[in-house]
Amino acid sequence: MRKVDRVDTPGVWSIMRPVQGQIRFAMVLAGLATAATLGTLCALAWAVHELLQQPGQWPLPPLLLAVVLTVLAYVLRLAGFKQSHYAAFRLETRLRTDLAEHLARLPLGYLHQTGSGALAKVMMDDVKALHIFVADSTPLYARAYVAPVLTFALLWVLDWRLALTTAVVLAVGIGLASLAMRTNADMTQRYHLASENVSKAVVEYVQAMPVVRTFDTGTSTFRRYQDALNAFVDVTLHWYRIAGLSSRLAQILVSPLPVLVWLGAWLVSRDAMTATTWLTVLLVGTGLAESLLPLMSLKHLVAKTQMSIHRIHEVLAEPDLPIPNMAQARVPGDASVRFEHVDFRYSEDGTLVLQDISFEVPQGSVTALVGPSGAGKTTVARLIPRFWDVSAGSIQVGGVDVREMLPEILMQQVAFVFQDTFLFADTIANNIRLGLTGATMDQVVDAARAAQVHDFIMTLPLGYDTPVGERGVFLSGGQRQRITIARAILQDRPILVLDEATAFADPENEAALVAALSHLMRGKTVLMVAHRLSTIRDADQILVFDKGTLQEQGRHEQLVAQNGVYARLWRNYEQAQDWALAGGRA
Amino acid sequence: MSAPQHIAQAASHITPLRETWRLLMQAARSRAPQLRASLIGLCVAAAVQGLALACLMPLFQALIPNPEWSAAFPWLLTMMGLMLATAVIRWWAQGFDYRGDMVRNTHELRSELGEQLRRIPLEMLQDKRAGGVNATLLGNVDETLSYTLTVANMMATALVTPIAVALAALWFDWRLGLLLLLVFPLLIPLYRWRRPAYGRGMRMLVEANERASADILEYTQGLPVLRAACCVGERAERLQASVKHLEVIQTIGEKKGAKPNLILATVMELAILSVVFVGTLFVVQGTLDVAILAALLVIVVRFGEPLATFVLYAKIIDLIESALGKINAMLRIKPLQQQVPIQTPQSYEVRFEDVGFSYARAGEATLSELNAQLPVHSLTALVGPSGSGKTTVTRLLMRHADPQTGRITIGGVDVRAIAPEQLNALISVVFQDVYLFDDTILANIRMARPDASNEEVERAARAAHCHDFISRLPAGYATRVGDIGGRLSGGERQRISIARAILKNAPIVILDEPTAALDTESEVAVQAAIDALVRDRTVIVIAHRLSTIAAADQILVIDGGRMVESGQHAELLASNGRYACMWQAQQSAKNWHAGMARCPDEEAFVS
Repeated sequence: MRKVDRVDTPGVWSIMRPVQGQIRFAMVLAGLATAATLGTLCALAWAVHELLQQPGQWPLPPLLLAVVLTVLAYVLRLAGFKQSHYAAFRLETRLRTDLAEHLARLPLGYLHQTGSGALAKVMMDDVKALHIFVADSTPLYARAYVAPVLTFALLWVLDWRLALTTAVVLAVGIGLASLAMRTNADMTQRYHLASENVSKAVVEYVQAMPVVRTFDTGTSTFRRYQDALNAFVDVTLHWYRIAGLSSRLAQILVSPLPVLVWLGAWLVSRDAMTATTWLTVLLVGTGLAESLLPLMSLKHLVAKTQMSIHRIHEVLAEPDLPIPNMAQARVPGDASVRFEHVDFRYSEDGTLVLQDISFEVPQGSVTALVGPSGAGKTTVARLIPRFWDVSAGSIQVGGVDVREMLPEILMQQVAFVFQDTFLFADTIANNIRLGLTGATMDQVVDAARAAQVHDFIMTLPLGYDTPVGERGVFLSGGQRQRITIARAILQDRPILVLDEATAFADPENEAALVAALSHLMRGKTVLMVAHRLSTIRDADQILVFDKGTLQEQGRHEQLVAQNGVYARLWRNYEQAQDWALAGGRA
Repeated sequence: MSAPQHIAQAASHITPLRETWRLLMQAARSRAPQLRASLIGLCVAAAVQGLALACLMPLFQALIPNPEWSAAFPWLLTMMGLMLATAVIRWWAQGFDYRGDMVRNTHELRSELGEQLRRIPLEMLQDKRAGGVNATLLGNVDETLSYTLTVANMMATALVTPIAVALAALWFDWRLGLLLLLVFPLLIPLYRWRRPAYGRGMRMLVEANERASADILEYTQGLPVLRAACCVGERAERLQASVKHLEVIQTIGEKKGAKPNLILATVMELAILSVVFVGTLFVVQGTLDVAILAALLVIVVRFGEPLATFVLYAKIIDLIESALGKINAMLRIKPLQQQVPIQTPQSYEVRFEDVGFSYARAGEATLSELNAQLPVHSLTALVGPSGSGKTTVTRLLMRHADPQTGRITIGGVDVRAIAPEQLNALISVVFQDVYLFDDTILANIRMARPDASNEEVERAARAAHCHDFISRLPAGYATRVGDIGGRLSGGERQRISIARAILKNAPIVILDEPTAALDTESEVAVQAAIDALVRDRTVIVIAHRLSTIAAADQILVIDGGRMVESGQHAELLASNGRYACMWQAQQSAKNWHAGMARCPDEEAFVS
């Protein structure tokens, strides 16, 4: 595995780079809107001033200016919000597309380990989480910076004494608020932890309700849930205790209105300031606190958004599966598979999962991989399609190292039937035809017949056109599996990797499934991970794995005679098969 | 369920504020008087704040155009006094939050919801979707309630303060006062009236989001298959189309959703301008003191901000409204009825008498006319295709739901007359999917009997053949399941759950395919554990592998919700019916082996 370069997580601003221009534009618009609003207020003061000078006359110029600036501020503000919203939508699309493309290039093992649900969550929820910040907060940011600067400049021009006083009042308010925020920093951590625990406890409680009920004696199980709730309450109450006072004081003290009124009235009454100036100061200055308040809540939002950005980035930073360039890519000669001294570990510093595995599967033969759970047999099967790349040694398909083939070529050699069947929300026919758009309906039906699923499909109202999935028909596990087998039959690839299902839906399905598999395997090079040993008695070779190493190798009779790991597994198997519940009277 | 969905649902019908108030008080329980006082306090604070602002009018009159300090001073004092009063009242009113009353209240509500969850018919939770919804309900909904005071404060400043100012203005100039009274407070009803449009925009967005979400999940889940089928590109294009579609809908939704806000903002700007113009008109006419106009301007331009914030936070009001509705709906679900007098069974023979049952969601009956008798210490097997109703039989016995017809008795006592705790104590269940709690192994086993000593837990673990592997774990019995999560194999987990059942020592045992998902090696150990569990018990087992239940005292064959056959293995084979058919199919599948793939003739068995 290649070394993963851990690039530092980009900040909220740099993840917006693809739509940077538009965001900047939106912020400029929002900033201009703020300036226009301040202009409106000045125009209103001017109008009053005119009225004071000439009481009987309409102060037309200032009124007109006020109207124009109001409209301008309004239009600019809307335009800004519109731009930031569109930019946010565009960013979402862009990030999702990037993520989807990137996932298609990553090793399958990464998808497997991370889990499709978690990845889908990143693509959907984490990307969505950016929206509030990008769309709603960027204009607020612009305002929160432009408004105080412009206001202060205005106040300074109008009356430096009042400007300074306002600044002092605000400084005290902000100081208190940041005091509240600082105590919050580690509290936030504890709060989130407690709140996460509550969510977990709730999910556990609801999901495990059938189990909870069976052991419900009225106390014990419910206590786990209650404990999480109690911890949460304690943390929250503690938070209120330590941060409550300063944040409440900050709310009250941040407003400069009382000071401006007192000081202004005093100055005006001693003729040290004109009434118009005072009026302008009051109109402009009292808005200062309100434009600053969003900054505090924004800080919170940025921290939250950062978590989503981190997860998005983590996926994007994952290195691609290395592929050979077109010129050097090679094509396999036949349908044989060969492992040469293969070592494998999941991460560079992890323990060896497979150690020095060497074997050969000739074209057209059947090889079974057996061993206790955790022995590494499924890993062996998954290394062939390059879920991961080997740590040492090599895997060859048709004499060519799998890493030297183009992924498409490799995939065209190998068909897989895994335990976890996956069908797309599409028609049954398209699910069988997946990847082979050229296949005719006859070919699809033949494959379905061979997979023992044709009769069932014909009982459905829409036959092969029946949609699978949410609004489609409900399929049992066995039926789904046979549809995937039909897919593999249609693909008709020379090498077949089977991970045998351990639990079949019900007896009748099981027989059909078995017949379907027989069809699929005919004439193929087969590697099958087997759990039920009776199925592999006739395999050409059986590879017995234990603790990551290849322990034994041979045919059934040979291995039973050897009296080693396989013989033990076989005895266990026979014993399990013969088990019958004796019941209460035994 | 995502937040926008809540919003969309809530927006579809707007609860009248009075109803919201009633539900809120109901949710506050014992703290309702405090909450009421607190909310009223916030309104009073907002009103006093309005009066404080109104003081600007006489203050300006005293100073503009001819400043007179002596006339201004009393008003300055009054204004400061009122502002101080505002701060004090608000401080006190917000105490409901800051003193922790609200936190304790939501805490109690959560506990109560949790209790309720334990009492309601389990059938209501078994639906996976509903399960998820309920989890979110418990997790988030009551948290939403904690915004109540913040929102109430905002509503008060946006609504009550302007009214107070307007009323005060009436005294100085009734015409302007009337104008203020008409325009500003009217904004909120206007907004509420226009909000359904917002909801419509939201709903479109929710749908597009859900679609994109489903497509994305399908893409990530299907990637291995797509890669194997060499058609990632084609699917990726489809996904991109869906993502692109989302952007289009978002854009449309934004336009639609933004409309009410737009109208509100426009009306607000117009309102301010109208005050300016009408005021100027009066001043020019000479009927209004310019000082009053100046004061009103200073006050009125500040009304915009709280109103705008109010619009932003209106979503939270929707959330609170829908949260209250959901909590109420949840608490209203009736627990299964307890028959009186409560009886305690003296023996453990189980009988099903003419039992008929259908799930609330499904139309047709899941079970009909089931009659069976399970003697003490007998082994009864339920077999049949998936979906035939086997699991329902066991669920009814555990009272996850009650049958619509007939009755189920234990030792002659109707299960509906047995106290729930008593019934739970009578039955042990081993499920196919084992649920282990994120706690120590010791705690997971002891869950079955909290007062069990460590020795008793260990004895149960030994009987269930799990003592050895537990001892090998890093911290033995004190190992946390979460820490080693993936390292426990399916068989080991299953044995822990069996140890749990053994410790519980209940006279009736239900086995729901406990070995279906296991590999051979685990299976042998689990089988041995089960043998220890079922000794001297009345056992009901659901099994797919018929060979495991061939020795059962009776086999009930269930198909389509009816018992189609019953009897012992040999009898059923001889009668050559459904069971015999299943048995043969299974025997032939069992004999299949990989070598057969090469000889097509041998396939005849499936036909």
